[in-house]
Order: sequence, then C-alpha cells, then structure tokens
Amino acid sequence: MDARTLSLPISTLDYKQPATVSLGSPVSIVIDMMQEGGRGCVLVVDEDEQLVGIITERDLLQHVSGQRAAPTEFKVEQVMTPDPESLRASDPIAFALNLMHLGHFRHVPLCVWDDQEEAYPIGIISTRDILEHIAIFIENQE
Amino acid sequence: MLYDLAIDKELEQMDEDAALKAWSAQEIQISLKDLMRPIITIDINYSANEAIDLLLANKIGAAPVVENGTLRGIFSERDVLNEILNKQVGDLDAISVKEFMIADPQTANPEDSLNTAILYMARGGYRHVPIVDTENRPLGMVSIRDVISYLVEEFPQEVLTLPPRPVRDAFKAREGA
Repeated sequence: MDARTLSLPISTLDYKQPATVSLGSPVSIVIDMMQEGGRGCVLVVDEDEQLVGIITERDLLQHVSGQRAAPTEFKVEQVMTPDPESLRASDPIAFALNLMHLGHFRHVPLCVWDDQEEAYPIGIISTRDILEHIAIFIENQE
Repeated sequence: MLYDLAIDKELEQMDEDAALKAWSAQEIQISLKDLMRPIITIDINYSANEAIDLLLANKIGAAPVVENGTLRGIFSERDVLNEILNKQVGDLDAISVKEFMIADPQTANPEDSLNTAILYMARGGYRHVPIVDTENRPLGMVSIRDVISYLVEEFPQEVLTLPPRPVRDAFKAREGA
C-alpha cells in the first residue's frame, strides 16, 4: 500500500450494501436488523428512498441504553444522526479516510445524487473495510 | 526529444516519491506502546448499567473488564447491541457486566507492532485490542480508529489537504459566476 492507493476509488474496496429503514419505524426494528445482519449501522430513508439519517451502535447506546429506555419507545428519527456526510463510490479512498478521521465516523454512506442534489444510498464504507484492505497488504508482505 | 526527457524525469521522480511514501513493512512496525491510548477500565463488580455509563461518559466504544487489576474480559457497545437491546435480560442495575462481556479477549504486548494488531483485528473481527503487560494487566487500548489516524498521519499530504467535502459542481459554479 502506498500513497497512490489512496487516490483509488472507494469502489475498489469491498464495500457493503446498505440496510435501510423508513422514517417513522420503531428503533426495535433497527436493532433486529443490526443483530441479524451483523451490521454496525442502518441508514434511514424517506418515502422517496432518499437518505435522511444514519443509526449506529453509538446512537443506540446513547439514546436507548443511556436513557434506560425500551427501544420500542423510540422512532428512528429520534435516535438517528440526520443528514450524514456521504460520498460517491467513485470518490477516492482518501476522501473516506478524511471524513472518518475528522468526523470520527466509523461508517460513511455511499450515494448517488440526482439533479436536485438528493442523495440515494447505494452502499456503506466502514473503517473495517479499510482495515481489511490494509491486512491483505500486510499478509502479502509476510 | 526534450519532451521525452522531461516525461522520463517526471516518471522517475514519481517513482522516487512513491518509494518514499510506500508503506513499507518497516514503517508499519511502529510499536503499539507508541500508539495505544490510556486505559479506562471496568471493574468486574460493576453492573451492566454502570459499565454502559462508563462507556458513554468517556465516549469510548469498549473497555477492558478487570479483576484486581488483571484483565478478565472486554465490554463494548457491540455487546450492548447483541446481548442486551431487544432482549429480556432483567435488571441491568443488578446484573454484573461479566454476564455480557467477552471473556479472555485477544491481547497484544506494548512491544508488538501495529501490523500485529491490524491482523488480530482483521482475522478476529475485533474493533479493539487491549495492550497488556506480562502479568496480563491492561496498559492501553488500540482500536481501528487508531489505525485510521495512523494512516492519516502517515499520508497527511494525501488526506488532510482535502476539502471537507468533495467539490462536485465546480463547472456548475463557474457557469453561474
């Protein structure tokens, strides 16, 4: 791995398909999705499938466990981080690193944008995806 | 001819730059003691709720669980998700954190290199690796976030000089100006 690797598009990494949930859904559904799929986050979309938020393990810890509340007491919009920073799959890996480092994000949604600049999620890139990319590099060196 | 020479020189320079920037095995073998963050521990007698509050108060995703200073397990927000939320587990003020922690987690030594921790994380699916001394007492923690930070510090020119958001509409903006 070298500096040039960072200019490769994110699509060269093995990024995941997004799990999405609609506005108005109970948080308990998000927990089921994360437990069953082994996911670290779920994206929240509106009725037009546009990205409006993200729910991570940290959000659940803060809003549900921290408040000693039952997950059924919350709708996703009460727990999500709204309007998350997003990238295109064609953006360089360096952009994802930049967001993850400066924003302390573990997951960055990948989207396509229409003419009205509305974002539609197509994937998720995580710190783990980048870690696994580095691990392959290390294993090949050994 | 001059043009060819200039191109050759440019390519040669690019190769030299790349060689300098190549993330060699030597560079990644930075010791974990130089990267690890100070340890925040959970006492094994803590209740699950006390452990959750400790994670929240310190804004951390995981902490080692200790008994008389010795590592017994690790408790993370992932354990809260997988073992507690949506489940009938009882009174979290009364149940010990040890019911939910991962016992005897993978550890590393301070003298181990970062690539050792990266391989542990990648192969084991861990997000955090506690760093322990020879008596299995936690000294620090290394996480995937630390790996990302290291990468950014290693290539600051390529990462930190980027705009906060990709410039997507440069042409559109120019037309409108």
